[in-house]
Amino acid sequence: MTGGAGTYVYAVTRPLPDGLPAGLCGIHGGPLRALAVDDLACVVSSVELDQFAAEPFRRNLEDLRWLERVAREHDAVVQALSAVTTTVPLRLGAVYSDDQSAQHRVRGLREPALATLETLDGREEWGVKIYAVPRRAEPPAGDEQRPASGLDYLRRRREQLERTTLDARGLADDAEEVFAALSALAVQGRRHRPQDPALSGVKHPMLVNAAFLVPRDERARFQQAVTALSAERPAGAMVATGPWPAYSFATLDDG
Amino acid sequence: MSETVELTMIEPRTSLVDLLDRVLATGVVLAGDLTLCLAGVDLVTIRLRALISSVRGEGDE
Repeated sequence: MTGGAGTYVYAVTRPLPDGLPAGLCGIHGGPLRALAVDDLACVVSSVELDQFAAEPFRRNLEDLRWLERVAREHDAVVQALSAVTTTVPLRLGAVYSDDQSAQHRVRGLREPALATLETLDGREEWGVKIYAVPRRAEPPAGDEQRPASGLDYLRRRREQLERTTLDARGLADDAEEVFAALSALAVQGRRHRPQDPALSGVKHPMLVNAAFLVPRDERARFQQAVTALSAERPAGAMVATGPWPAYSFATLDDG
Repeated sequence: MSETVELTMIEPRTSLVDLLDRVLATGVVLAGDLTLCLAGVDLVTIRLRALISSVRGEGDE
């Protein structure tokens, strides 16, 4: 089946008495609508089924240009909503044959959706990535004396190897400690899969790819903790991003 | 909302990979009646394949 339009759902919110943010458009410029679902709302727009039905959608996900555009348009809607109301983002690609089908599905998740809205009230997400950046720089050339003998060379080489192994283990432990320290300051911490260096663009392996749910009024405190932890580590070992809509903490258990 | 602290290690939210970590691997999975077959694991695989091939493609040029 091709052609026609489907209903794409971005997020679930409480009812929006002031309507949607002015000037906000959805995917491919489609006008947004807020559909009432009892004491909830879901924000939707119409999308072309020749791009968003299951099969074309799956194909399009492999097209990075298409995926980037849709992901950024999806994110723009979720960000704008998060700025005005507590927002439960949906994963990219929830498409229904019509508005009624979307409303029906959201209605079925009413209770967990309300619970999630409460968890997310007044909170935002921060991302923290920790890379395995070695603490010790290699000694500059010529800094050490030349090995006095073959045995001396072997001893030094062995020590260097041991140091490297210890460093790698130490860095992983240290990343866990940072995650624990920031989790203690956050409402929740969770981890994404570490990004491959080919994707992150950073040559050092990523040890932890974390997200933290932080009360908005404790943002400064959280940022200060990130700054302090980062200052104790090599440059580039910690990178924070945010604030994000609470993507990583929007989960609904519908049994 | 005002930024109270200016932090050099805090990046703007521009990285596509960070965004895809979130929109493809988190968020509520509300299976669409038209996209029922898309599960998280599938999406992560698709994401990596698409991105790695894209990164490689750019590197080859």
